[in-house]
Amino acid sequence: MIQKKLCMIGTSGVGKTSLVAQFVHSVFSDKYLTTVGVKIDKKMVAVDGSEVMLVIWDLAGDDDFQRLQVSYLRGTAGYLLVADGTRQITLDQVRDIQKRVAEAVGPVPFLLALNKADLAPQWEVDEAQIASLVAQGWTIIRTSAKAGSGVEEAFSELSRQMLQPKP
Amino acid sequence: MDDFDELRRLLLGREQEQLRELRERLEDKEKRASDVSGVLPQAVKLSRERGAELTHALQPAVEGSIRETIETRPQVFVESFSPILGPLVRRSIAESLRGLLQSLNETLEHTFSWQGLKWRVEAWRTGKSFAEVVLLRSLVYRVEQIFLIHRETSLSLLHVTADAAVAKDSDMVAGMLSAIQDFVHDSFQAGADATLEEFRVGDLQVWIVPGRYAFLAAVIRGNPSRDLHPTLEQAIDDVHILKGSALASFNGDASVFAPLRPELEGCLRAQYEQKPASESRRTMAWLALASAAALAIFAGMLAWRSEGRWRDFLGLLNAERGIAVTAADHGWFSPSRVAGLRDPLAENPADLARQAGLDPGRIRFDWKDYLALDATSVRRRFEQRFGVPAGVRVAVTGGGLEIAGPVPFEWLERVRREAAQMPGVTALVERDLTVTYDPGHVLERFQAAFPLPPTVAARVENGTLILSGKTAYEWIAPVREGARRLPGITALAEKELQVAFDPALVLRRFEGRFGLPDTVNAAVQEGVLTISGEASHAWLTRVRKGAAETPGITSLDERDLTDLDQRAFQQSKSVIENAFVYFLVNKDNFATEGFAALSRLPDELRRCQTAAKRLGLDIGIEIRGSADTVGNEAKNLDLSQRRANAVRDFLVTCGLDAEMLKPLGLGAPPVASAAEKAVPEQADRRVALRVITPP
Repeated sequence: MIQKKLCMIGTSGVGKTSLVAQFVHSVFSDKYLTTVGVKIDKKMVAVDGSEVMLVIWDLAGDDDFQRLQVSYLRGTAGYLLVADGTRQITLDQVRDIQKRVAEAVGPVPFLLALNKADLAPQWEVDEAQIASLVAQGWTIIRTSAKAGSGVEEAFSELSRQMLQPKP
Repeated sequence: MDDFDELRRLLLGREQEQLRELRERLEDKEKRASDVSGVLPQAVKLSRERGAELTHALQPAVEGSIRETIETRPQVFVESFSPILGPLVRRSIAESLRGLLQSLNETLEHTFSWQGLKWRVEAWRTGKSFAEVVLLRSLVYRVEQIFLIHRETSLSLLHVTADAAVAKDSDMVAGMLSAIQDFVHDSFQAGADATLEEFRVGDLQVWIVPGRYAFLAAVIRGNPSRDLHPTLEQAIDDVHILKGSALASFNGDASVFAPLRPELEGCLRAQYEQKPASESRRTMAWLALASAAALAIFAGMLAWRSEGRWRDFLGLLNAERGIAVTAADHGWFSPSRVAGLRDPLAENPADLARQAGLDPGRIRFDWKDYLALDATSVRRRFEQRFGVPAGVRVAVTGGGLEIAGPVPFEWLERVRREAAQMPGVTALVERDLTVTYDPGHVLERFQAAFPLPPTVAARVENGTLILSGKTAYEWIAPVREGARRLPGITALAEKELQVAFDPALVLRRFEGRFGLPDTVNAAVQEGVLTISGEASHAWLTRVRKGAAETPGITSLDERDLTDLDQRAFQQSKSVIENAFVYFLVNKDNFATEGFAALSRLPDELRRCQTAAKRLGLDIGIEIRGSADTVGNEAKNLDLSQRRANAVRDFLVTCGLDAEMLKPLGLGAPPVASAAEKAVPEQADRRVALRVITPP
C-alpha cells in the first residue's frame, strides 16, 4: 500500500480543518494546531483501483505566510490550497502562498479548494478569476465543508495527480 | 620494413605495445574478470549511493538464482541459515521464557509482602492484573514501541510494539513526531544537522536516533541505561545497510521495509530490578504458592459442589408446578438471585433450596404472583379453597374437575356452586359419587325449614327424621309434606309424636275440603264428625268416603242427615209401583180406569230414573202384565204379555228408553178353586210396574 503526505494550506478561517474533519475521523485534538501548528490525520482513498493512504498535515492557517512552518511541507507529495469564496482576499493570499510553497517543495501537484460553496450568493470570487487561474493550469474545485460537497472529490483528484509519474 | 614503418616504430612503438597489451587484455576473459573484480565493490558502492538502478537491474537475476537454488538444492540454504536461525529462535524463546520467569518470580516475591498488598490494591483500582502491576513497579525500563520514520516524508515505514504496549495509529504518531522535531528545530534555530534526540513525558521518554534517510523513535517506559543507545544506533545502521537504496528512493510504499521487523524487534528490550532473593523467602513463596494451589483446589471443589446444588435447586424449581423461573444468577460471593413467577400456593422455594442443600438466606427471591393453570396448581388451589374430605378423590384433567367417592352433601353443594368460578376449572364432573349427610347438618336444615315447637323433639337417624313429643296438627302437616324434600331426610317417624287437633280447625279443614251445604249442620267432637239436615247423595257419598281422611276426623255420624236423592228415588219408586194400568176384558186395550195412571207414568219414570242416577243406580222397569182367571192359562199368559207390551210400547212412544223397559206376562193369578176362577176381577186385568235396582 502506498502512503502519501498531503498538506492543507490556506489562511485562517478558510475552512481547512473543517474540510479535513469532513473527510476523516480524527485521532488528535485540534489543539495541536494552536500548539505545534499542525494536526495530522490519515485517510484511505481509492484511486484508479489502487488504495492510497493519505497522511494529511493540516497546517495552522495564518494570513502571513512568513509564519508558516515551511519545514512541515518537506516531503509532501501534494498540497491542497484552500480559499474562502466569500472573501476575495483569501484567494489573493493563497495565490501568493502557492508561489512560496512551490519554491519550498518544488513542482508537486496541488489543487485549490474554493470553500464555502454553500454560501454561493455571498461569494466575492467571480468566475473570471477562477477561469484565469484555470488558464494558468490550476485545478479548482468548489467545496463545502458544511454540506460535504466536493470534499471527497478534491482529495481524490489531488491523490490521482500525486500518483501520476513525475515528468 | 620500410622507413615509414621504422619511423612509426620509433615514434609510436611504446603506444603500439600498450594498445596490443590492451587488446589482449580485452580479449582475455580471465584478465577482464580479474579487472572487473578489482573495481566491482567500489562500483557497486557508488551505484548504491547514486540510486537504486543497480539494485533494480540485479533484482530479477538474484531472485531467480535464489529461487532456483532453493528448488534444486535447498540444503545449501538450510546449511547457510541454520547457524543464524538457530540462535535467533533460541534467543527469541529465551527472551520469552526469561520474561515469563521474571514475571512469575516477581509475582511470587511480592505476593505476601506489604508492598505486594499495596500493588494488589493498585491492580484492583486500575483494573490491571497483579502480575502486570508487579512488572511495572519492578521495571527499570522497557522499550515499548519503535517507529522507523522516513526523514523526508515523515511517513511511518515500520512500527513494532512490545506485547503489552498500547499504540495509537503509527502513521499519525510518526507524522506528529516528525512535526515536533521540525517544530523544535525551527523554533530554536538549531544547526542544520541538529535534531531533537530525546524528550520525556511522565515515566515515558522518546529517544530519537537519526540515520541518513530515516530515523528511529523509541518509546521507552522507565529509565533506560545508556547501553541502549548503541543498540538503537546499530539498528538504524542495519536498516540503512539493508534497505539504503529503498530508503533513498522511497515513493510511499512501506511494505518493502517489512523484512526489517526483526532488527527493530531486537530493540524492544526490557530490564527489571534484580533483587537478591533469599532462599528462605523463595521457599516461603513456593510454599505459599502450594498452599494457594491447595486452597484453590479446595475452593474449586466447594464451588463444584455448590454449583451442583444450585443446579439441583433450579431443577427442583423448574419441576415444581406453579413456579416459572425467568432469571437465575448463582452468586459465589454475593447472594444468589432467582426471579420469576410463582403461584401463591406453589411449594415454598426456600424449602426447595433447603432440600437441595442450599441456605435460602443466601438467595434473594424475586417472585411475581400469578395463577398457574396446570392441573397440579389448579388442584392445589381447589384443595386450599374447599378442602378435600377423607375418602373423596379429586382430579383435574383438561380443565375438568373430577370428584369421586363418598362426598358430604354440604361440601358438594359448595363445590357445585363455586368450583366453576375458579381459574383453571371449566367443568365439574361427578363420577361414582355417594353423597353422605351429616345428621347434625340435616337437623339444622330441618329446623331452619320447620322451626320446632317447644314441645317437640327431633333427631335424624340413617336418613329418618324422628319426631317426639306433642304438637298441633298444623305444625306436623307441612312437615309431612316437605321434610322428605330436605337433603338427608328420606323418611319421617312420628310414633313418638302425639298430634293434637283443634275441633274448630278440623271443621274448617273439613269445610274447606268438602264444602258445607246450607241444609247441613256439622260439628266435630273428639274426632267424630256429626252431620245433620239434608244433603245430596253425591255430597254425602264424598263425605262418607273422605271425611275420615281429614286430619282430626276419625269417624262420621250421619244418623240425622237425610239423603235427598235417596228420598226422591224411594218416593218415585213407590208412586210407580203403586200405579196400575187396567185393560178391557180379554183384550190388551187400556180400560178407561187405567188411563189416569198410565198418563202419569212417563214423567214419574223419568224422575225415578234421574233420582236413581244421582244415587249411582242404573235401574230397570219391569212391566208386569196380568189376566183375570177366566180362560185357560196359555191364553192368559199370552194376553198378559200383550198387555205388558202395550204399556211398554206406550212408554217408548212417550220417549222412554226401551232398553230400560222389560215387559213380562204373568198370566192369571193362581186361584184356590174353580169357582173362584170363574169370577173375573177387574183388578186382575192390569199391568203393574216394578223398579228393579241392581244388586
